[in-house]
Amino acid sequence: MPENSRTTAAWRIALWTTLAFSVGTFVAFFIVYLLMAREFRARSDAWLTGEAQVLAQIAQHTPRDGLYDQIVEEVAELAMQEVPDERGSEGQRLNYVFFLRANPSGNGDILFVGPGSRDAFWRAIQRAHFVVGIPQSIRVEGWQPDFRVVVQAHEGGNPTYLGLSERGARHVLHTLMERFLWGWTGTVFLGFLISYLSTRRTLRRVERITETVARIGSEELDERLPEPAGSDEISRLAKTFNHMLERIQASVKQLRSVTDAVAHDLKSPVTSIRGTLESALSAENVEPWRDSVAQAIEGLDRMSALLNTTLDVAEAKAGALPMKRAAVDLPAAVTQLLHLYMPAMADRCHEVRTDLQSGVIVEADLGLINRSLSNLLENELVHLPPGCQIDIRLRSHQGYAELVIEDNGPGFPPEIGSRAFERFVKGMHSPGHGLGLAFVDAVAQAHGGTVKISDHPGGGATVSLLLPVNKMTLPAAVLKASVCS
Amino acid sequence: MRLLLVEDDLSIQRFVERALLEAGYRVDATADAKSAEALALERVHDAFIVDLGLPDMDGLDLIARCRAQGNAAPVLILSARRSVDERVKGLEQGGDDYLTKPFALAELLARIRNLLRRSSASQKEPSRLEVADLQVDLIGREAKRGDRVLQLTPQEFSLLEYLCRNVGRVVTRTMILDHVWHMQFDPATNVVDVHIYRLRSKVDGDGCKPLIHTIRGVGYLLKYA
Repeated sequence: MPENSRTTAAWRIALWTTLAFSVGTFVAFFIVYLLMAREFRARSDAWLTGEAQVLAQIAQHTPRDGLYDQIVEEVAELAMQEVPDERGSEGQRLNYVFFLRANPSGNGDILFVGPGSRDAFWRAIQRAHFVVGIPQSIRVEGWQPDFRVVVQAHEGGNPTYLGLSERGARHVLHTLMERFLWGWTGTVFLGFLISYLSTRRTLRRVERITETVARIGSEELDERLPEPAGSDEISRLAKTFNHMLERIQASVKQLRSVTDAVAHDLKSPVTSIRGTLESALSAENVEPWRDSVAQAIEGLDRMSALLNTTLDVAEAKAGALPMKRAAVDLPAAVTQLLHLYMPAMADRCHEVRTDLQSGVIVEADLGLINRSLSNLLENELVHLPPGCQIDIRLRSHQGYAELVIEDNGPGFPPEIGSRAFERFVKGMHSPGHGLGLAFVDAVAQAHGGTVKISDHPGGGATVSLLLPVNKMTLPAAVLKASVCS
Repeated sequence: MRLLLVEDDLSIQRFVERALLEAGYRVDATADAKSAEALALERVHDAFIVDLGLPDMDGLDLIARCRAQGNAAPVLILSARRSVDERVKGLEQGGDDYLTKPFALAELLARIRNLLRRSSASQKEPSRLEVADLQVDLIGREAKRGDRVLQLTPQEFSLLEYLCRNVGRVVTRTMILDHVWHMQFDPATNVVDVHIYRLRSKVDGDGCKPLIHTIRGVGYLLKYA
């Protein structure tokens, strides 16, 4: 047992359960005890009342002659024999009965049958106030405990008292109480012991979980709690902890890869900016400065664009992109964006063919949709070798607007695999940061849509973006992405 | 024109102040809201440039207090907080325009000019713009270089119009994208430049004196030098 066992939860739980148990059993026993005492008294009272009536009747009906006293006395003696007898451990008699018939006319004429002296009983009876037929407890000098006494008086007759000491009942109750207390003490002690030990055993398992979890620092996320076979609360706690650790480990891993990627992508422009400025500083003429400074600014712009995109993608992935949804005419938005990109496409000798179904309206944030579409178009610009063919198709299909961008280029690099929509995942030769498709995916999901990529068997890549179409299309509310005129 | 600049980052405050002075404005620069409030009461400013993260008060609260004192000067908010929510909040709470850090000085100057123009009595919208021998007819949507009519696509015309309206001033790619195509993002590729090259080949071709200049690292400039 540890030194500070009194501060442990096991100790406290055992203590409180034992306390509750002991008080509960004690109260229950006490109620039983009271009920038994009442039953005993009712029994002796019933006997007393009945016997007293018989005696009183006999006394009344017996002719008042010389034999009267003798007959009554004998009847009383006989009645004594019928006392509910209880004997103590040494076999001595426990219950005593007395019979007393007073004669109000003369003090000397008292008939008494019973143990001890007549006077003590007579004095006790005279002190008490009796109601006929109702037993009452009186104290008699020299006798313990009290006697239950009932009085019967018949018309014209003398009051007849019959008393019974409760020693037998008292003795039974006392023995019962004594035995119970011993048993009770033992049970309470045993209960405390069992309760303490089992609680301690259970809580030891919790303690082990605490120790393991405390040991798991940010560096040691590999460790797991032993999972007991059962499915009780503590096993579930261990399983939940392990599940949580797994998730934490996954997000820490992801966070590390993201920070690594950001750090990598930020370090190269910082290095080039620093180098450019340093060489400008050591140049003799002023004219090269202009060029170096311009290069530095371009590098900084790329850095800040990377920062912004990283934050945007993080926000989008977390579902925290603030969106201002409105009805967006998707073919108009695509056309508008193509106006911007067409000259750059033509510069790379790409042929762009469009097949856009008109009147496809989506409930979306136009800014986010524009950025997503521009990401897709920039991918085509950056990754395709010159002279490719790009097909852009838009269809409304089963409640979704489906935009497909298909090219006959080299397709997605194999190293991307199924991770194309993860942050900072890009082809080995890609000059980008691997954020474009991650952003498109996050935006599509935020709008309740999806984006899928696939490679053609004959070469070329396909990106298809699905967005739910606006069910309540109100032509008047359509925000036309105004085509520049 | 006197401007009040409230920016607690002293390196930013210094270069913004210098740029504004070079652009011909008079500038009161301060680093905290309390002294900014005092300055605003003491002098009349044509516009405020307020950073949101001030040491003693939120920039939005400063704007609200100035507005409560009856100061109606237009406010350009500078902020590193870049979310759309912040922008909307800034504009709702008394800001007139919003610029996130880092920003190009050219864009800051353009926005200040915009604010000042908006607050002054509405100017008469010109029907034609002229720079040297370049004439842009805004109503007929036709441009001429000397006697030669330029064959421009609608986007090229809008681009030329935007450059002419900002004659002598540098415009960045983001500004062009915003004003000509109404899109707010930084393209990672040279999409804007391609449009400029095409426009330049039409405007400055045939041995004319070049009007459209590239300012490396910043953007483009139309001027007759």
